[in-house]
Amino acid sequence: MAKQDKPQHTPDTGHEWDGIRELTNPPPRWWMIAFHASWIWCVVYFILYPAIPLVHESTKGILGWTQIKEFKEAVAENAVLKAPLLEKVASMDGQELLTDAGMRNFSESSAKAIFGDNCAGCHGAGGEGAPGLFPSLADDDWLFGGDIDTIIESITDGREGNMPAHMDILSKDEVNQLTDTVIALSEGKATPAQFAQFNEIGCANCHGENAEGGAINDLGSGAANLADGIWRFGSSREDIMRTIRYGVNQDQEEVPETRVAIMPAFGGKLSPEAIKMLAVKVHEFGGGK
Amino acid sequence: MVGNAPEHPNYNMAIVKAFAVCAVVYFVVGALVGDLIAWQLSFPSLNVNEYLSFGRLRPLHTNAVIFAFGGCTLMATAFYVVQRTCAVPLWSNKMAWFTFIGWNLIIVSAVISFPMGWTSGKEYAELEWPIDIAIAVVWLSYMFNFIMTIANRKVSHIYVANWFFLGMMIMITYLHVVNSLAIPVTMTKSYSLFSGVHDAMIQWWWGHNAVGFFLTAGFLGIMYYFIPKQADLPIFSYRLSVLHFWALMFGYVWLGAHHLQYTALPDWAGSLGAAVSIAMIIPSWGGAVNGLMTLSGAWHKLRDDYVLRFLVVSLAFYAMSTFEGPVMSLKTVNALSHYTDWTIGHVHSGALGWVVMVSVGAIYHLLTRLWKTEIYSVGLVNTHFWIHTIGTVIYICAMWVSGIMQGLMWRATDDYGNLAYTFAESVVAMHPYYVLRSVGGLLVLIGAGIMLYNVVMTIRTAGQPNAAAARA
Repeated sequence: MAKQDKPQHTPDTGHEWDGIRELTNPPPRWWMIAFHASWIWCVVYFILYPAIPLVHESTKGILGWTQIKEFKEAVAENAVLKAPLLEKVASMDGQELLTDAGMRNFSESSAKAIFGDNCAGCHGAGGEGAPGLFPSLADDDWLFGGDIDTIIESITDGREGNMPAHMDILSKDEVNQLTDTVIALSEGKATPAQFAQFNEIGCANCHGENAEGGAINDLGSGAANLADGIWRFGSSREDIMRTIRYGVNQDQEEVPETRVAIMPAFGGKLSPEAIKMLAVKVHEFGGGK
Repeated sequence: MVGNAPEHPNYNMAIVKAFAVCAVVYFVVGALVGDLIAWQLSFPSLNVNEYLSFGRLRPLHTNAVIFAFGGCTLMATAFYVVQRTCAVPLWSNKMAWFTFIGWNLIIVSAVISFPMGWTSGKEYAELEWPIDIAIAVVWLSYMFNFIMTIANRKVSHIYVANWFFLGMMIMITYLHVVNSLAIPVTMTKSYSLFSGVHDAMIQWWWGHNAVGFFLTAGFLGIMYYFIPKQADLPIFSYRLSVLHFWALMFGYVWLGAHHLQYTALPDWAGSLGAAVSIAMIIPSWGGAVNGLMTLSGAWHKLRDDYVLRFLVVSLAFYAMSTFEGPVMSLKTVNALSHYTDWTIGHVHSGALGWVVMVSVGAIYHLLTRLWKTEIYSVGLVNTHFWIHTIGTVIYICAMWVSGIMQGLMWRATDDYGNLAYTFAESVVAMHPYYVLRSVGGLLVLIGAGIMLYNVVMTIRTAGQPNAAAARA
């Protein structure tokens, strides 16, 4: 290829490297102007903003900008909107928040991200839970109570249900029979003999004579309603048998197969206001009492 | 054009061949690991075990593409260019082969140590201290050989490409050494000599200059040789090359602080980084302008010169990403873009658009010169060009949309001033773009595979008497 393909006929520098020459064209005018504008920009920026480190501190910049100031201003701007409402949340109890439509809306709006970042990991984005693993918050089947104050308590202090393991108490046959009984109870088909067995083994002490749960919920056992067909740990015969045999939240070293059901306490992590608003959101998933 | 410049009989072209072939192999490997981790982000169940999990493969990907592919490309081209433009053979062939073997052993050690989870936890400097020492030694052997070759040169002046190569080598030496200073605990574990915000600042002083010198200055050296050589045209402006060279060398080292806006870093460091970043747009464009103006009046060459096409499009991506980066360094833009996929998109417009395309162009050029043959299939080079360009555009567009959406979702508030979205909702929203990115990456990987095949076939058929006829 001939060199005269090049429209510029500017002379070269007189050097050649492996056939490559360099021309003596000046840089484009726009580039030179922009090049000078670049260092002028730096000088201007250095005057406006903190930029030059001195012995003990840096120059301040005539705009007086600091990132911590920008942060505080943004927080203050946000607080103008929220601070009065948050003060109201602090002064109201859970029931009052629920009944005041405006405050209920505010609570649900505030709790959206709090729920998503703290609760949804287990209970699902819509509180639907995960079958057999984490309970649904969207139905009206509550292990520890579904009124607003109890929900606040559950979030603040956490929950850890307890059911003894029956592997050493009952024989294999008895576990089999009890499983039949529990299934029959959930279907409303339990015979008087089965009710008798349920009482005799001691299940009724916690789950209640009619197996509707809650007899000693005040003690925090979280005893489930066995009559409603809603299952905390799965509905198959194997699932039910495992729960009977190994219990819930037993010492995992002694009973490795035990069901684990622990709701952590958020009292130290979230503010009381945040928990109150969170409880309103959980209540309003549809199952609140 | 092939063979019109008589080869100097003593030039060491074997070392260039070895590095060039390695570069292509590592390109395939780096793209493969990169696309795998892109699919892992789209579908987390693809993280099969700890050795092949995203967290361990991600540094393998970055190190493979930057230091294995990029490094071998820089070593192949620098050794080629310095010999030809100084008209002397390499100062020491033995030392060159030491560099080659050492560099490849370092790459092998990275392939082992990252899946094992041995990492210093410093981005783009994850390799542990024994390997860091090896890198310093091998790198110095590369630089020393390069400098001594220049010292032996038979021409009066040093060609501009060599300034950029040398600038890159000097800067990377001290950046690597200072950032890697650490207290060893075991053979596979060490702790940085620095702590807190000092550690962060030194890390990003290194991190940004890995981009600024390794991936920019070094590859500008490639551009300054291969564009005029491939187009057979003189460089547009000597003065422009002097100005933008020194502006980049003095300016780039200040930029690292812009990676730490709105952190514990003092305000002055952040604004210094941002101001100088903006001031680097024009010096960066100096390289693009000089490359593109070299071609002015000869644009018709792009119609059928596949190699030139790679080189020219690389400059377009270079100009674009050197504008985008400084804009992202401004505090207000950074407040939106930081920690989002926009950063990933920006990096890949530079990496896939600029670094890969200028390297691929240079390697295709080298292929015909080193093996004194025609390329096995020009059609496949064209396919590679288009598949790579389309893959790159898909990748960066997906990350722009995903990143800006992420940034907007994180900061969105409702009428009460409460956050409008949960973090998980932003993750869900990103999923389609993650899949799209994986597809873009797959195209790049396929392109790399095509290139490897073409390179292997070109080398295998080189020297066969009927090769040229068979291809015509």
